Amino acid sequence: VTILIALCPFVTKTAFLLVLSSHASIKFRSMMKFGRFVFPTLLASASAFSPKVAPRAFTSTRTALNANVLKLSEPTKEILDKTDVFIFDCDGVIWRGDSLIPGIPETLEKLRSLGKKMFFVTNNSTKSRAGYKKKFDSLGLDIPAEEIFSSSFAAAAYLEQTKFKESGKKVYIVGEVGICEELDNIEVPWIGGPDDAGKQPDMGPGGRLEHDEDVGAVIVGFDRFVNYYKIQYAQLCINENENCEFIATNLDAVTHLTDAQEWAGNGSMVGAIKGCTGQEPTVVGKPSPLMIDYLCTKLGLERSRICMVGDRLDTDILFGTDNGLQSLLVLSGVTSEEKLFSPQNTITPDYYADSINDFFLEGSKTSGSTSSASSATS
Amino acid sequence: MFFVTNNSTKSRAGYKKKFDSLGLDIPAEEIFSSSFAAAAYLEQTKFKESGKKVYIVGEVGICEELDNIEVPWIGGPDDAGKQPDMGPGGRLEHDEDVGAVIVGFDRFVNYYKIQYAQLCINENENCEFIATNLDAVTHLTDAQEWAGNGSMVGAIKGCTGQEPTVVGKPSPLMIDYLCTKLGLERSRICMVGDRLDTDILFGTDNGLQSLLVLSGVTSEEKLFSPQNTITPDYYADSINDFFLEGSKTSGSTSSASSATS
Repeated sequence: VTILIALCPFVTKTAFLLVLSSHASIKFRSMMKFGRFVFPTLLASASAFSPKVAPRAFTSTRTALNANVLKLSEPTKEILDKTDVFIFDCDGVIWRGDSLIPGIPETLEKLRSLGKKMFFVTNNSTKSRAGYKKKFDSLGLDIPAEEIFSSSFAAAAYLEQTKFKESGKKVYIVGEVGICEELDNIEVPWIGGPDDAGKQPDMGPGGRLEHDEDVGAVIVGFDRFVNYYKIQYAQLCINENENCEFIATNLDAVTHLTDAQEWAGNGSMVGAIKGCTGQEPTVVGKPSPLMIDYLCTKLGLERSRICMVGDRLDTDILFGTDNGLQSLLVLSGVTSEEKLFSPQNTITPDYYADSINDFFLEGSKTSGSTSSASSATS
Repeated sequence: MFFVTNNSTKSRAGYKKKFDSLGLDIPAEEIFSSSFAAAAYLEQTKFKESGKKVYIVGEVGICEELDNIEVPWIGGPDDAGKQPDMGPGGRLEHDEDVGAVIVGFDRFVNYYKIQYAQLCINENENCEFIATNLDAVTHLTDAQEWAGNGSMVGAIKGCTGQEPTVVGKPSPLMIDYLCTKLGLERSRICMVGDRLDTDILFGTDNGLQSLLVLSGVTSEEKLFSPQNTITPDYYADSINDFFLEGSKTSGSTSSASSATS
């Protein structure tokens, strides 16, 4: 192609460029493979002609891999027309800490009016679905509880899937009230949780911690009141009760407990139990496929028509790419453009945008040309 | 002889007191607790010259050893029982002069300490992550197995994604220190312990002879189980077998302690 272009008269080059520009946003990505060759050739031989589509600038911070990540510029064509169901991560997409991100209620309304289904998933297990509904309510968002998937709910759904109740066993909880409430909802007996905050085991001479031999699973979720008593209790259950399961709601290293700083996440609680048992947990939250399998099975959804929207590459976007979903990274949370394009990053969403409000960006075109406000080349 | 322990809750001086209370008169210089190993590591790496501090997740043993080498520290037992401000807009202020976090066995571990360590390691430039040991379980009391420093270290790994520098067994640090400081010849050293994955590995990984004793946590079944990949040179019921009645000085295998029996 390069040779042909170089050999062609000027008129043919112009025609070629017009063809290119009309397929700019979608086909552009696949043409980038030889774009590096084509464009210098074109530019060198057509000095009086300025291409309608500017070449993508290869800055030193972008790897060839990440050069394939486009900024959302034609949301209808790029995502809305291809998607029936949206899965939104909550923190960094809908809210930040305790504050709603501006514009979100209107954006969600518009999506509903387009007939889009939506679900809200969060790896934070401290609240149950019902607890999260209260948070949505307090922010002025009227979301049905059935649309909310907290990792506490995911843990209960996993126990239902595996018919845990039939074993007649109990669950030991390292975690907060969200997990307790979800287990109550499915009538699985549990011990621990907030009850064990502030306890110290008997560590005097001959001291021991008596543990319940009927515990058949330990669920570890984010726990601001984690202590040695809980760690020891979990260790005894996992190491000494036959076939005792080790379940983790999520592995997030850091979380936005408050919006003032990054806080150690459930990765630390799970790390503590891994460190004294040598066991790997079954993870029910993102990026594990569990919540997706549950949604698709229970609701008959088609994966390719689902778009995962989140602010974290290693949980949200990986959740999308690993499970055959479309994926959109938003910069309204913890991930910056630099992080997305850094050489260390290996996770590529289909698109990225400043926030989900960009679905209805003023001036976005439905086809062809690139809008200057959100073009990847700007 | 030297006495090494991965338990960092006491300093050398603290362990001497324990030896004394058991009627064993051992000089402090023969005792190597992992708390002492952590301090020795800081000396080796000339930490004091950096002018920085250490944040301690751990108990008084580490604090005492750092005092001995005059390295400033914060945390330790002082942070037991603390809760960070987690209300709206809340944050935990951390000292930007912390140049290393040392994690040792801590019966008073809590979210405050985990968060403080996370902030130091993730936000202070070149802040080191040091662990006294990784033992999954330990014999806090002889009535059961207790979660060991593997859990405190696991918690900090889980929120930072970083691997620590381990100073206790089976890391070579204590052996390197001994051999360098005292000019010892490794092949003439015998490591004696009851745990395969710390003591015996410490021996085999460092070119020492190794003897497993069955007077502790490891049984003959565990030693010969198909899952075990660590092989000491010999095993015995206890170190008393060095002077077993009826043991021969050469040639024949004594039934009580041959590796082939």
